[in-house]
Order: sequence, then structure tokens, then C-alpha cells
Amino acid sequence: MTKTALIIIVFLAAVACGILIGPTSLDAQILQLRIWRVVLGIFAGGVLAFCGCLLQGLFGNPLVEPYTLGSASGAALGASIGILVFGTINPFLAFLGSLGTGFFVYTVARIEGGLLRDRLILAGVVMSFLCSSLVMIIMVMGGRELYEILYLLMGYLGVIINDSNRIMIIALMIVSLGLVAFLYRFHRELDVISQGTETAAGLGINIQNFSLVIFFSSALLIGLTVSIVGAIGFVGLIIPHVAKLIFGPKHRYNLGASLVLGATFLLIADTISRIITVYELPVGVVTSLVGVPFFIYLYKK
Amino acid sequence: MLPSRHSIIFAAVLLVFAFLTCAQEKKGNDYRVVSLSPAMTEILFSLGAGSKLVGVTTFCDFPAETKKIAKVGDFSNPSVERIVGLKPDLVIVNLPEQGRIKRELDKLNIRTFVSSPASLAEMYEEISELGAAIAVQSAADSLISYMKSNLKPVVPAKRKKVYIEISPRPLVTVGSTTFLNSLIHDAGGTNIFGDLNRAYPVVTQESVIARDPEIILVLHPERITGRTGWQNIEAMQNNLVYDDLDPDHFMRPGPRLIQGFNKLCEILK
Amino acid sequence: MIALQIKDVNFSYDAARIIDGVSLSLKQGEFLGIIGPNGAGKSTLLRLICGICKPADGEIMLFEKPLAGQNQKEIARQVGFVPQETHFTLNFTVEDVVMMGRYPYQQPFMREKREDIDAQENAITAANIEQLRKRPVNSLSSGERQRVVIARALAQVPRLLVLDEPTSHLDLHHQHSIMELLKRLNADGLTVVVVHHDLNLASLYCRRLLLMHSGKIEATGTPNELIKKEILSKVYGTAVRIVRHPDKDVPQIFLHTD
Repeated sequence: MTKTALIIIVFLAAVACGILIGPTSLDAQILQLRIWRVVLGIFAGGVLAFCGCLLQGLFGNPLVEPYTLGSASGAALGASIGILVFGTINPFLAFLGSLGTGFFVYTVARIEGGLLRDRLILAGVVMSFLCSSLVMIIMVMGGRELYEILYLLMGYLGVIINDSNRIMIIALMIVSLGLVAFLYRFHRELDVISQGTETAAGLGINIQNFSLVIFFSSALLIGLTVSIVGAIGFVGLIIPHVAKLIFGPKHRYNLGASLVLGATFLLIADTISRIITVYELPVGVVTSLVGVPFFIYLYKK
Repeated sequence: MLPSRHSIIFAAVLLVFAFLTCAQEKKGNDYRVVSLSPAMTEILFSLGAGSKLVGVTTFCDFPAETKKIAKVGDFSNPSVERIVGLKPDLVIVNLPEQGRIKRELDKLNIRTFVSSPASLAEMYEEISELGAAIAVQSAADSLISYMKSNLKPVVPAKRKKVYIEISPRPLVTVGSTTFLNSLIHDAGGTNIFGDLNRAYPVVTQESVIARDPEIILVLHPERITGRTGWQNIEAMQNNLVYDDLDPDHFMRPGPRLIQGFNKLCEILK
Repeated sequence: MIALQIKDVNFSYDAARIIDGVSLSLKQGEFLGIIGPNGAGKSTLLRLICGICKPADGEIMLFEKPLAGQNQKEIARQVGFVPQETHFTLNFTVEDVVMMGRYPYQQPFMREKREDIDAQENAITAANIEQLRKRPVNSLSSGERQRVVIARALAQVPRLLVLDEPTSHLDLHHQHSIMELLKRLNADGLTVVVVHHDLNLASLYCRRLLLMHSGKIEATGTPNELIKKEILSKVYGTAVRIVRHPDKDVPQIFLHTD
């Protein structure tokens, strides 16, 4: 219980930092802006870490995350196509990209009665490469869209909120929260699956259906997130590990902890990105810069 | 020293070009020019030298005659191979954006003309140099004096703070090293991000709000109304947001600048 | 009561017929050992019994109800399954692992109920792992871990316990203790089906044996009826010698060598 209190305090502190710390003094306008930024940070950090935790649990592999499964890259590709064709990020194309790569990876890895986990990662990484190449082609073809795609690939929270996208972003966030709540109910299944698919099947889990639901729901969630803030990396990989180090292997706790810790981590990274330069630094850059040393420290301990 | 394999290719290329230049010198002043700079393309046409252009970028879309000229790629990624294929005597490059292309052309001993004006004075200088380079000096001189008479710097009592938005996602504006920065100054305003020593910095919404511009120039097709947190910016309050501007009139240091400059002077009055 | 009734079951995987017309009847309280050479279809038969694989045709009845109409959770409340190998990718404690046997009885978000905790306690006691209960499962020896997995299956409160080579890779002491545990559970009324590689252990503990070969049932009967030179030599393709166990009057096998 003290651990729970501790991470909630740290989370609230990060929220406070996100709102109070910045290059300019706080007034009503800046406050509005920072609240939005903090909300986006909580949303993206929480969802990405949650998906990472979910996928690591499902596939019993600590390397699995939105990136290694190709979902994030697929979403980025879809969003880039949207930028090229419609001049703006189209959430539908981002989901489509994410689901499309998900579908491919799933088909490659699927075997009778389950998924070949090694093949899954391989297919995911291969798809990531393919999507990156296609995004590169779009960047070269587009020219003027280069900046936008670049920032989409790294992810940033300084998204402009205006009358035309405010409702949509709120709606996407509500859908995502619904999906998170829906997926949370599978915490027991994820615990059981960590003992092997054979055991899980013996205990009454339909592995095929379960994998399908988790895999595609999380692909959808990743697509939603990428369409709002871009493909922020590293959160989905590192945070579930931190959650497990603190709360142990039970998914009832570490799924929730991933949600809170992911939000906290992204808020801290974003606060750092805002104070070290006057420029808008993609938060994805900072997550890796801060995350890698932290990760090494944790694992050396 | 170059590795031997490279030097053979290098020598071969040199030989070919020596032959080509010999062949062309016989034709006298008939220069073959490739322009990678949309502004310089426009200038060449104003100088009556449009017929010398054998290659341009896909960004060179003015005047209409550019449609018929061979394209060598876009502004950021022109193809060196296509440029070489057009056997140009002179390639006009923009720096710093096309630094890589210039280095490659230098290696191939293809003559380049560098364009990177950061002010009106530098632009005049370049027009004059270009005129000399392709033997249209007198046309260049008259274009310069025409432009000078139409682009008279304004010195107001108080300079208005201007924010220029190039792209909304992310927010891209212009910094001190751009031509537009100096054009705003000449038209009697001051760029709120004129202190940033970059060409096109990506800035935060917060910094725009904190710098509270009196005028906003939108150089992309999107509208900027209804943004959260922007309501109290002075320009938004006074409705001094200009989003019907043609970016080419401001971003291209060429003859059409006169329209852009006059518009700016009107806005900043 | 008939615990398990299998009628003319076929199962194929990638065009290869793994189970070929198997029929079998098992009464409640029996202790059945399934033996046979590698690739005979023993593990697949177990998976069919647990509902992990669905038969291509034929019928399986579990406690006189067809398996086909039941969902996997329902089946898991009746059949406890101990797979051949268990990898623990997450380092749960022994208690947590045993509690996972309650999965088929639980709902999402709900805390463990009284009956879950009782079942967990009984399973821990029955498998004799009280002293290990707080230990992380990856710190255990493979023998200890096997007891934990059996305890997890017992927490399912099954009427039928199905084990796939529970003593492979174990030392003598653990082989003995696992088999004694199964014997005790069977004596308390649990029906046990165990796939065995070790014919001597099978002969020593199982009251009835089932010999499989190439997806078919080759023979069935008591150890005395089945562990015979001519039958085994034919199925395994190896010359064997049969002697009697000194304590218990059952056959034991030795390999023949010069």
C-alpha cells in the first residue's frame, strides 16, 4: 500500500511540475495550454506503457512493445499517408496502419492453437523496417511535410488544440480509456499465460481468441495514441519493467502501475524537454535520453 | 589523395566535361543553366534569360513557362544525376539547404552559383553577380534599380511585433538568418523570434503566447482561429491575423517580393 | 460412474494422423498409465481429454457429459492438467501459482473468495509444499516446482487429474515423492491419468496401463498383462528382459545387452 501511495505522490508531483514549470510565467492562457499538455502526457504515457505491459504479458517476452510488434510504425505510416494525402493526420488511417501491420505480424506468427512468439517479434521488427522505409519515401516525396512527419515519428505533446480537433481528441481519449478499462479485466488471464500457453489452455483460456482480442485492441489503442501525439518510443518498453520491479509479477497491480508510471515518466520527460530549450523538442527524444540511463541503472542494481 | 578507383572515374568524368565545355564554348554566350532555387528561377525570367534554363526543381512554379522545363527533383532532393545529364554550364544552388548537392557538383567540377540572400542588399548583390555570370549584366542592373525603387525600407517610430507561422504541426516560424526576418524589419516590423539564430526553428505555443505578437502572418493554408490558450494574444484580440497571404510573395527573394513587401507595409502601418 | 469415455476419436495435425480411432473407457477412481514410444500420440490424447485440442471426429464424454458442448473453463473445473514442462516467465510466489488453479472459478476484478483460499490451502497441504509457499517459483528445484504445478492442478478441485510425464528430468527422490503423492491422491478418490516414459514406474504405480503405438491403442490391461517381452519388443523394437519387482509383485523391465 505504501508503494501505491508513493507512486501516486510521484505522479501528482509530476503533474504539478508539468503545470508549474516552464519557460514563461503562468497566467490563465499558459495554464490552459499546460493543462492540455499534461492531459495529453498522462494519456499517451499511460496508454503506451499499459499496452507495453499487456503485450509483454501476452507474449511472455520482455522485448515486446508497441515498436517491436510493428504497431507503432504501422500507425506512423498510416498517419504519414494521411499527412501526404489530406494535409493532416487522419486518425482512421493511423488505426488502419496499426491494425494492418498487426494483422500481418499475427498471420506470420500464427500456428495451430497459438502464436510462435519468436516469429512474432521477428515479423514485428521486419514490419517496422518496412514501414520506416515507406515513411522515408513519403518524406522524400512530400518535401514540405518533412517536419510534420519527423515530429510525428518522434512524438510531441505541444499539439495545437483548436476548434476543429478539440472534440475529436477528447472523443479519442474517451474511447481509449474505455479500451483500457476493457483490457484491464484480463489481468488474471495474463498472469495465467505467463506459465505457458499449454497451462493456460488447461486452465480454461482460449489462447487463440484471447491473443486476438489483446493483440488487436492494443494495436487499436496504439493507433489512437499515435494519431494524437505521434509515435513516442521507449515508454512502452521500459515502464512495464519498472512496474514489475516495484509491484511484482501480478498483472492486477503492474497493469495499473504501468498506467500511472507511464504517465509520470512522460510528464517528467516533457517538463525536461520544455525547460532545456526554447524550441519544441520532440518528447520522444527526451524519453530515450532519460530512459536509457535509468534503465541501465535499474538493471545493474 | 583519392583512392585509385575513384581517381580513374574522376579522370574519366573530367575528360568528358573538358570535351563538353570545348564543344559549348564554340556556341559563344549560349549558357545552359539549371536553377535549384525557385526565387532565382523567377529572377532569370525577369532578366529575360528564361530560355537559358534547361532544368529546374518541381518547386519552381512561376512563371508559367517553368512548366515546360525539365525537372531535376524537388527543392530538398534534386537528383545530381539528372542535373549532370542536362550538361549545364552553371547550376544555381540555395545554401544552406542544398549544401550536399553543391559539394557533389563541386566534385564533378560543375560550376555553381550560390544563392543565400539574408537581406535585400544581399539579394541585389546576387542579381548583379548572376547577371555578370551569364552575360545579362544590363538587364540585371535595370531589374535591381526597378526593385530598389519599389522596395524602400520603412523606419517607423515604433516597430510592431510580428509572428510568422510557416507550419502548424509542429509550429515552425522564421529565425534571424532568413530573408523574411530582414524583410519584416525593412517593412517596419520586428520578428518576435528574430533572436533565435536559426532559419526555421520549431517553437512552443507557450513561447508564442509569452512573446505576445501584435500581428500574425500565417504562411500555410490552415486557419489559426479557435486555438486553446491563444485567445488573449494581442493579434488575436485585435483580429490582426493575416491568413490569406501568398507565401511565395514573402519567401522568395525575387521580383514578386514587391507585392509581398507592399502588403507587409500596409499591414504594419 | 464413468469418468471418461472416448469413442472412435481421430485427430490430425498438418495432414498427419496423430490419433487414429482411439476408444477408451475409464471408471472413477482408476489410476491409468499411458505408455508407448515417442510420437505414439500420448500427449495429444491428454490434450484431447483436457479440451485443449478438439477431435476431428469421434466423441469424448467427461463424467457422462459430452466434452464438445462445454467451454474451456467448465472443463477446467473438472480436469486438472499438469503439462510436461512449465516455464515461468514471471517470477510468482508458490502461493500465487497455486492460486492460479482457481482461475476457472474466478471473475475479473473480484478478490479471492473464501472457497478459493480454502482450495489453495488444501492443495498446498496435499502437495506438501507448506514450507515453500512464500518462495519465488524460479528459486525452486525442478522437483519442488513439479509439486507446485501439481498443487496448482489440485486447486482446480478436479475430479480427474491428467499429467504428462510428471517425473521426467527428476532425480530418484523426487520421482518417488511425486509418484507417492499421486498414489495418495488416488487413494483419496481422485481419478488419475498419467503419461509415462518410465515403464518401471508405470508398472509399479498404475493399476491399469494403456499402450499406444502410432496413434492407436495397441493393448490395455494390468501391468501383469501388458508388460510382456513379446508385446514391448514389438512396439519399441528393442529386446527387453522382464523380472519381478522384489517388494511388489509387478513386472520390471531391463534392457538387453551383451
